[in-house]
Amino acid sequence: MSALGGPKQAGGIQPPTAMGLVLGIVLIIIALILAFFLVQMAGLIALIGIIIGGVLIGFGVHFVPVGGAPAAMGQAPGIATGVAMLAAGAGLAGLFGGAWAAPLGFAVALAGGAIGGGLLMAITCTMVNVIYVFGMGIPAASGKVDKDPITGDSFPEYKSQGTEGHGLPFISWVGGVIGGALGGLGGTLIYLELLDVYQAQLPVILNATVEQIAPIAISLAGIFAVAMFLINAVLAAYNITGTIEGPHDPKFKRFPRAIIAAAVASAVAGIFAIGLLELVGVF
Amino acid sequence: MSVKIEVGAGGIPHNQILIYGLVGSVILIYLTYLNTYMQAPYFAFFGGLAAVVALIWGTDTIKHLCSYGLGTGVPSAGMIALGSGVIAALFGATTGPFAPIVTVIVAAIIGAVAGLMANAVVRMDIPVMVVSLIELAIVGAITVLGLAAMACGTFEFLGMITGQISFFGFTITSYETSLIGGSIIAVIFMLGAIAIQHSFNACLGPGEQQDRTLMLAAECGFLSMIVVAIMSFAFIDRYAAIITLVIAIIGWLYTYKKYIELSKRDAYAWLDAQPILEPKGGA
Repeated sequence: MSALGGPKQAGGIQPPTAMGLVLGIVLIIIALILAFFLVQMAGLIALIGIIIGGVLIGFGVHFVPVGGAPAAMGQAPGIATGVAMLAAGAGLAGLFGGAWAAPLGFAVALAGGAIGGGLLMAITCTMVNVIYVFGMGIPAASGKVDKDPITGDSFPEYKSQGTEGHGLPFISWVGGVIGGALGGLGGTLIYLELLDVYQAQLPVILNATVEQIAPIAISLAGIFAVAMFLINAVLAAYNITGTIEGPHDPKFKRFPRAIIAAAVASAVAGIFAIGLLELVGVF
Repeated sequence: MSVKIEVGAGGIPHNQILIYGLVGSVILIYLTYLNTYMQAPYFAFFGGLAAVVALIWGTDTIKHLCSYGLGTGVPSAGMIALGSGVIAALFGATTGPFAPIVTVIVAAIIGAVAGLMANAVVRMDIPVMVVSLIELAIVGAITVLGLAAMACGTFEFLGMITGQISFFGFTITSYETSLIGGSIIAVIFMLGAIAIQHSFNACLGPGEQQDRTLMLAAECGFLSMIVVAIMSFAFIDRYAAIITLVIAIIGWLYTYKKYIELSKRDAYAWLDAQPILEPKGGA
């Protein structure tokens, strides 16, 4: 873990390879063309929405202060768990909020998703600091910057020797809330786009009313939104190699790589989700 | 976070496990197709056994991948596996009798894209990344498809959404009471994810032994199978569900007992290793 030496890549940011970029652009274009031929304009719009949602998730993960195992021992700042768990928590909370608000309209649902994800991260970050300060008796101090960019609090006096900082400084708290909100927004966007596609197609295929197929459409859109959320969150986690303190961390500058990766992965996963019902009944 | 996670040497070569896992699990999933021929869901348990075989293979893959030190913890690999897998499994399920084959192909495509993005764009530059993510996506897909086939007696999409798999003249036509309409697929998703990520996460470190890790993987698989078997009472014939449940419990008891034996063996070996030798004649 980072307490034992730190990542090798922290110094410079390796740019994506040309092969990776070309492959990514080609895959996105192929997916968009396929979406247009499978479900016409609605499919194209849905896939673009899914790609934007995936990018929001991949970007949002970079804001979340992930501490990992060193944070659990009070040797690094952040929330003491891995990216996948935190992102899944914030994303699912956002998804629940958004899915609950889905009948109230597109904008309300998106806002519901963002607030759901942000609220979960706000509660998590607050309680993490309560445990750090009152349970473990450690002050919040970042190891990456000398002053909190928002409050101007200084850190070096409070940082214990041999650690990379500890606790959860205010900037990390703000980053966590922004990350949760972006993640919830992206997850809800994916959910709503897929729900539209399925609610248009399922009644025709099954010869049933929209109300009758609602459980299937909601369940399919929900599970695919969760699946794409996890794919994008893990790719973003690979990008930050484990731990990050929040938007002030030097690792934050790596986010363009994760955005490209998330866009391509969402496009490929999304085309299978959009085209899901095309083969029903063919074989 | 680039510290190498220690894994034990020796054991069965990974390629051998790959071949047995892939062929074995696909054949076992196809054996659930006997349900359609026999018009009775007594062969549903083969789906659960396919999931167990796939999970054993997946655990060995995770062991290979994580020995490079991802920096994000072992669970993230399980999450991306099931995230890719559930999309592939549901897409594959729509192709009727070809479901297992199509599932494997689609999972390989999604896994390859995720792996290429991780290596070429995010620049993890891990040699086994692409192959491992392909394998993990296939494992995730087979796990979801196998457990879903076990729960509702068929791996075909229409069977999963209509819940008409019932006998004795009693037919359920509501979409709500189906595997997907009731969102049982989400529970299967998480049961698979926990089963695939736990074993290596629990066993890694010095003194890790392949047979012990894989035995724990089988134990986790049977544990997930027990839960899905209980849920399958809602979808398939009572006696078929009892057969599944009994097989799952017997499998779990056997693997649990073996795992405890292997743990005691390794604990004893560790005790006997005596890293610091006493000088002869006393000190």
